[in-house]
This record gives sequence, structure tokens and C-alpha cells, in this order.
Amino acid sequence: MKGFCNRREFLRHLSSGLSALSLSSGFVQIENLFKTAPAYAAEPLLKEVMFYKKLDDLRIECEICPKGCKIADRERGYCGNKENRKGIYYSLVYAQACAVHNDPIEKKPLFHYLPGTTALSIAAAGCNFECKFCQNWQIAQFRPEQVDSYTLPPDQVVKMAKDQGSPTIAYTYSEPVVFYEYMHDTARLGRSQGIGSVMISNGYIKEKPLVELCKHLTAVKVDLKAFTEKFYKETCSGELKPVLETLERLKKIGIWYELVVLILPTLNDSEKEIGEMSRWISEKLGGDVPVHFTRFHPMYKIKNLPPTPVSTLERARKIAQDAGIHYVYVGNVPGHEGEHTYCPSCKKMVIKRTGFFILENHVKGGKCSFCNYPIPGVWEKPPAIQPKKLTEFKRYGMS
Amino acid sequence: MNPQRRTFLGYIVSLIATFPFLTFFQRKATAGETSSIKVSSPPGDKARVVILRREGMVKGDAPDVSLIRKVINEGVCQVTGNPLASGAWKELFTPKDTVGIKVNCLGGRGISTHPELVMAVVEGLRIAGVPDSNIIIWDRLTTELEAVGFKINLQGDGVRCFGTDSNYEADLEEIGSIGSCFSSILSRQCTALINMPVLKDHDLSGVSLSLKNLYGAIHNPNKYHDNNCDPYIADLNSHPLIRKRLKLIICDGIKGMYNGGPGFKPHGSWEFQGIIMSRDPVALDRVGAEIIEEKRREKGLPGLKEAGREPKHIATAFKKGLGMGDMKRIEVVKG
Repeated sequence: MKGFCNRREFLRHLSSGLSALSLSSGFVQIENLFKTAPAYAAEPLLKEVMFYKKLDDLRIECEICPKGCKIADRERGYCGNKENRKGIYYSLVYAQACAVHNDPIEKKPLFHYLPGTTALSIAAAGCNFECKFCQNWQIAQFRPEQVDSYTLPPDQVVKMAKDQGSPTIAYTYSEPVVFYEYMHDTARLGRSQGIGSVMISNGYIKEKPLVELCKHLTAVKVDLKAFTEKFYKETCSGELKPVLETLERLKKIGIWYELVVLILPTLNDSEKEIGEMSRWISEKLGGDVPVHFTRFHPMYKIKNLPPTPVSTLERARKIAQDAGIHYVYVGNVPGHEGEHTYCPSCKKMVIKRTGFFILENHVKGGKCSFCNYPIPGVWEKPPAIQPKKLTEFKRYGMS
Repeated sequence: MNPQRRTFLGYIVSLIATFPFLTFFQRKATAGETSSIKVSSPPGDKARVVILRREGMVKGDAPDVSLIRKVINEGVCQVTGNPLASGAWKELFTPKDTVGIKVNCLGGRGISTHPELVMAVVEGLRIAGVPDSNIIIWDRLTTELEAVGFKINLQGDGVRCFGTDSNYEADLEEIGSIGSCFSSILSRQCTALINMPVLKDHDLSGVSLSLKNLYGAIHNPNKYHDNNCDPYIADLNSHPLIRKRLKLIICDGIKGMYNGGPGFKPHGSWEFQGIIMSRDPVALDRVGAEIIEEKRREKGLPGLKEAGREPKHIATAFKKGLGMGDMKRIEVVKG
């Protein structure tokens, strides 16, 4: 007998209960607690986390993101989707997709990456930030057992992308850093079959996992939330410095990446802040990294601010261009001239967009078709790369 | 004088003369239902916390259901000051209530609310006239409840028992530092709440007692672990969904943990063989934390503050007016 108690315990309870009943007439019987149970959600699949360190007394330290959560047995990290069970740290979201959709790559947004193609986009529950303006909080700010998920192993994700004619898989909507193992294995498998992978992230990831992951990714989009520690701490429960370190690492690694800056009225829209940010990008990352200034809409815990005025985005774009950034876009404003790509040399429009759609593309072989000036980005489908092993992953970072 | 009238007056005199004795015997007889106890009304200017320790409530894995029942009823009498167990339960709950019993099953079989203790509480609710179908034993996850021995009953007749699982409110409730979706069991189904935490140490908040146990009522407790969970725990407990419903706290201290929580560690646990009851969550936590501190001292361990996990949330909850945090104004009734 399984459940409230086993057979022996049941009989003991019954016997004690009957004895007690004979002694006291004030109590009623307990048999109603023993009921047949219908089915309900079972335990999730468990996958050991790739980067963590064992501590004393069954505690662990997560080494995926700079939060570095130290987690006692039976507890979860800040992301809520990994759990320490007797000193082993498990991901609860491996192969558990809570969102699957085939999106234009421009929606990510990645404007210099296979324009006009689609990306099979997947997410799993959880995030290592808590942005008060979170656009997908119903999945990013929930724990895996609280959202509906599909079991979708890496091989099925890759097959689905191929079946739908998508050259890319995007890890997006929530925060892929916190479903690292799922993303890593899918990206590696995809690469071996000629399907690229892009991570749409807040960039809050430690060096070792980032370096390992970039072996299998084809591009990264990073949300640079603001340029002050105050904003990161108070509005995102995160830190700026590690994100800037990630950006410098991406440059060093040589992978394609683009930046998105969501502008929130009064919180991160000052000329001073945008200027400092733009100069830092230009100096540390170079003028060729695309920067998207996007429009905020009231959401989650910030509902008291209006949508970002278009003029604020235009001002930010001008500041960034003046700082030497060549490809600066205005996002979430369909039909705006800041959606198009212009050649820095001849100044002609080389990619014309509206919303997520490509109307014209004059980039040929990675160059402006008007003046032959090289336009940086990923313009051709990446070749299939066979990793050395496609069996079980090695767990890194163990001391 | 009319003989009938004389007889009648004789009855009255006898009744008046015997009243004090009747009251005495009534009290004694009632106490005999549970144990021979004396109860007094709770002091008006103090919070009352009741600690009842009895060897043998659980011996090894074998619970003494009869003893547990006795202790629970004695406790509810002491908490309310009502010498009748039936009266005490009726003072707290009405037949119209839907009572949620929030247990704590995170620690698995090693350190979770004992189902036998919950059974005794269910019996008390029945005495108060609460129908079985209006009693819900709940925690975060159904799987966790089942793992510690609760029989799951999602929607059948009788006492229901299930986890919130994915059933949280769609809308966010914001209060102080907290922004969370509440378990719909608490927000939609319950009109009254009995909180049944366990007596244990916690790696982040210092202790996990009454206040911390209600992290299990929101969808995102993992977001509120910084700074020893302070002021998050206090802010959460200040929400009307909790404050207005909470009627009674029964902390399961049959086994306690003084170190290594919240997961079960045999080497950090001890047989406290008791329960701690109160209607005041802050007072109960203040007393419970002191019990854990005392055990740590006895074992030569540093205090919780020294160990980097001072249970600051108790003082914060006191400051917020959620209960009594000053030991001088807490009456501890031991038995």
C-alpha cells in the first residue's frame, strides 16, 4: 500500500485509532483520509548541471552564472530551475520546452544574421535576473513545475528545425543561460547537422561555460539593460560588470553578436548614460557591433511608465552614431527609418525592413552591392561541424 | 411556605452551593479528555506560545497516534485558554470555514510535518464541525506530499490533499519587496489557514518555522533568498491573504534540525519530541529560533548570526506589527 502510509502503518493507525475511539467518544474516525488518488504531474527528468562545485555538507556552488548561488540540499538556485539533491545539482528543465515557435530571425532581433530566414525558437522556464519590465515573465519568472512544458529532446528540436526549413535554432524568450545543458547539447547536435544556434541572452554567464558554449553557437544577442550598476541592481536584480565582461569575451572569441538596449523612460534614458554606454561600446567592442535601441511597453512590475517616446530612441540612435557605432537601429517602432541597414561607406540603404520582414536586401557576399564595402555579419548558412564526440557531455568545472 | 416553592428554592440553593464544585469537576473531566492540565486565559498584553514535549510521540518510525492526538488537543486548549478541547477548536474554526493546512514536506521523510500530527488536527477540525470536504492539506508540490506519506486526494470526497503544482493566481500581488503570484489553494479555496511548519535550521534564513513556511504559498520563493531572506519573509507574511486567514500555528518538533537545513541531515537533527503552538507567528518563530540556538550552543556550534544566517526576518516581522518578537512579552507555557 503506497501513499499516506504503508500497509503495516495503516493497520497500526487503525488499531491505535480504534483504541482511542474506545477511550474517547469525542473523536471521529480517520478512515476518510485514506482515499484513492487520481494521477497528477510526475517528477521531472533530471540532468546533472555541467558547471558547479561541491561544497561541504551536501551543499553546492553553481558556476554557470555570476550569481554563484550556494545551495543547500533540497534547495534551488535563484533561477528556480535547478535543484540540489543530496549534493548533486540537477537541471529540472533539460529537454523541457515551455515555448516553441518558428520566428523570423529579425524578431530576436538579429539584423546581420541570415536576414529573411526563420529560427526555430525554444525556451525553458526560469531566469537568473528578475527584470521589473520582463516581457515574458509568465515563463521566465516561474519554476518549471508551474508552467506547461513539452518533452522535446535535442534531436527532436534539430529535426523540427530542419522540417520547418529553419537554418537556425534560437534559445530565447526566457533566459537560456539557465537552461544551459539543454541549449548546449542541442546546439552541438545542430551544428553537426548544419543547423546554427543563436543565444538570446542577458549575457550574465561565467567565462568557462561561455567559452564552451560558443564552440557550438553561431551568434549571440545580448541585452545590455543599462549602463549603471544601480539600474542592474534595483531593476534587474543583477550586475552590469559581468555583462560587460561577457561582451568583451564574445569579441575575443570572435563569434557574431548584437546588442539590444531597451530604453525605459526616466530609468535608463539620460543622454549621459547613453553617451557613456555608446563610447564604451565603440572603444571596447568596435563600431561594427549592431546596437538596437528598442521601445519599452509597460509590463510586469513596471506599469506606471509610458511607452518610450520615439524621439527618445532617435536621440539615443544619434548619440550612438556620433560615438562611432555604424549600425544603430530603432526597435519596436514598425516603419521607422531606423529599422534599415545603411552602408557606412556609400550611406545607401542595403537592407530595407518593416517590422520583422525584409523588403530589400542589397548585401551580396557580405558586401554592399552598391560600393562593395564589407558589411559585418553572418550572411551565409554556417557549415556542418562534427564535434569530436556526440555522446554524453563531460562535466566541467568540478574541483 | 408552599412546599413546592420550598422545594424549588432548595434546588436553587443547592445549585448555587455546588456550582464551584461543578465547574471544578467539569474542568477536570474535560481535561481528562486529553490530559490532566490546567489552563488559563491568554494574557492580554502578551503573546502565548505553548511548548508540549512528550517522549514517544514517534518512536523510530512508529507514531503513537493516541498520544499525538492528546498533545494536539492539550495544545489547542492551552493556546486558547479554553479547558474544553471541543470548545477550543470551535473557538478557532466554524463549520463554514474551508481550512487549509499548510505543511512542510521539502525535507522528505527525514524532516517534514508528520502526517499523524496532521491527522490529529483534522480530527480537531471535525470536532469544530468543519466538514471533511472543507479541509485541504497542501504544500508546493503533490509529489513532495506523497513522498512523505500523505495520501493524495485531489477532488474526491473526504479530506483533500494536494500540492499547488501549477495552480497559482495569474495576477501578481505586490507588497513591499515581494511581487508574486499566490497559490490558488490559499487565495481561492481557503477561508482559514493552519500553518504546520517543522522545527528546523535553514541555510539562508537561519530558521524555517512559521513565517518562512509560507514561502511555499508563492510561485517564486527562489527570488527572495538574498540578505537571509529579509525583508522578503516579513513582507510576504504581511499580505492580507495570509494575515486574515492564519488562525493557528502548530510547529512539528517531533524531530528538529539545529544545523544543515533545510534538507534532512541526520547529524544535524535531534529528537525534540514536542510541538510548539501559537496563534502568533512572530512569537512562535522567536521561541522556536531560541530552541534551535540553544541546541546549537549545546552542540558547540556558533550561533546563527555568527554562522552568517541570523534569522533577521523575525525582528523585521515584529517591527511590521505581524506579531510579538520581544521575549519579555511572550508567555511561554511549557508542558
